[in-house]
Amino acid sequence: MLNSVSTTISNIKSNRQVFLVSITTITIAFSILGLFLVIFVNLNSFLTTWNQQVQLIVYLEDTVTANQRQVLEQVISQNLDIESMTFIPKEAAWAKFKNTFSSKKSSFVDDLKFNPLPSSYSLKFKPSEDRILKVRKFADVIKKKDGVESVEFGEKWLVAFEKFMVFIRIFILAIGALLALGLIFIISNTIKLSFYSRQDEIELMLLIGATPKFIVIPFLIEGMLQGLLGSILGLSVVKCLHIYISVQFKGSFDSIARGLDFQFITIPLIFSLLMAGIFIGWLGSLISIRQFLSLGHTR
Amino acid sequence: MIQLFNVTKTYGGVTPALIDVTFSVKKGEFVFLTGPSGAGKTTLLKILFRTEKFDRGQVLVHGKNIGKIPDRKLYTLRREIGFVFQDYKLLARKSVFENVSFAQEVVGADRKRIRFKTWEALKNVGLTHKKDAFPPQLSGGEQQRVAIARALVNSPKIILADEPTGNLDPEISLEVLNLFEHARKKGVTIVFATHDQDMIRSRNHRVIVIKRGELVER
Repeated sequence: MLNSVSTTISNIKSNRQVFLVSITTITIAFSILGLFLVIFVNLNSFLTTWNQQVQLIVYLEDTVTANQRQVLEQVISQNLDIESMTFIPKEAAWAKFKNTFSSKKSSFVDDLKFNPLPSSYSLKFKPSEDRILKVRKFADVIKKKDGVESVEFGEKWLVAFEKFMVFIRIFILAIGALLALGLIFIISNTIKLSFYSRQDEIELMLLIGATPKFIVIPFLIEGMLQGLLGSILGLSVVKCLHIYISVQFKGSFDSIARGLDFQFITIPLIFSLLMAGIFIGWLGSLISIRQFLSLGHTR
Repeated sequence: MIQLFNVTKTYGGVTPALIDVTFSVKKGEFVFLTGPSGAGKTTLLKILFRTEKFDRGQVLVHGKNIGKIPDRKLYTLRREIGFVFQDYKLLARKSVFENVSFAQEVVGADRKRIRFKTWEALKNVGLTHKKDAFPPQLSGGEQQRVAIARALVNSPKIILADEPTGNLDPEISLEVLNLFEHARKKGVTIVFATHDQDMIRSRNHRVIVIKRGELVER
């Protein structure tokens, strides 16, 4: 093992420039992949938070009777998925609206002589995986009841956003696969150069009784090292960018998505990326070693 | 030790290199392999070392059919055989000491043993004073002595030498030949390919003659 490591170091030293170019390429590729993943992680977290905050608002007709309201409340309380129900009378809704939108510059809200808002029920559902489905199902039931004017839970936005997330997921997978293929090709060529620069030594090693494993292991280590170093550097670049953006645009984030942090890639994902880097390096080396052996250089 | 039965080898399925070659070499024997250039001496040695495959026949080394050794297990055969090449095949980036110790490193010997055995091998060929020199700094004779030290350092049972004196003047050639004689006295089987008839006549060893791929004398 010690011998393999020292051979690896010697291989790297004799091909220092190629090794550095290869690492730089891997770093760039992992930076791109890392950036996409950061965007994905944050959009996903945004969607999850949004999903958890979704409430079903049941707007009532102005002519709703006490009897109709009693029936509605009974239907609501019978649904075990609903965590809480809040009745908002139209006066309270109007007061809240005025409080939020009235300003000194415009007197439109204050000048309005009637209350255009309806009374409503705000329903909060218990957290679960299929929460949005349950909300959708209950909305279909309740909107047909007497006294109900309409229901609202931002369905159009949610569906569009969910579709967008599926697209992003496929996009990242495709980008990842393309980058991985490119990296395997680059590493494979770097190792091939390393092989050719030591061709005389490798041939001699086989002639004097070295096992194929003894010859191959240093090159596999070199490939894996390239993958590992490249992925570490790539993720470091993304982390630096993440810190910079977090500090520079902190205020803007608060206004866009209140209560949401600008997150970095999760630890398991970081670990997976490093493993992917090592795997890509190993595979790239293996491909070039196989080519080298099949050409009969080492018989 | 070495047995060949009706070995035939052609290049590209057309040009015959060896035709129906049969002979054997006993343990500890010194054999000259001779014949004109292109007769098939090198091909024969390469077959024994399995850097070439043959078309027909059987080759046994220590009773082992070497034609059946899979490529990934070839190292087992090559650890039993030391090969000395006409062009020495020394690594120019490594010193004399490193070239010899390299042969032990690749077979996984421990560091202490490597140092001791390398020193001993260099002492046997009279090159301890050149241990830090690099091959391009040495004469042809010295380079071949390093190659012999490298071939002997792992105590092989057989030495195959392909025109080891081909590039050397007669005086140095004799010095090199004596190194092989010394190895034989220690029980190593030697197959020494040469077309130098004076050298062959100077010793009383069995001579195998090949002409156009066929065995003429054994």
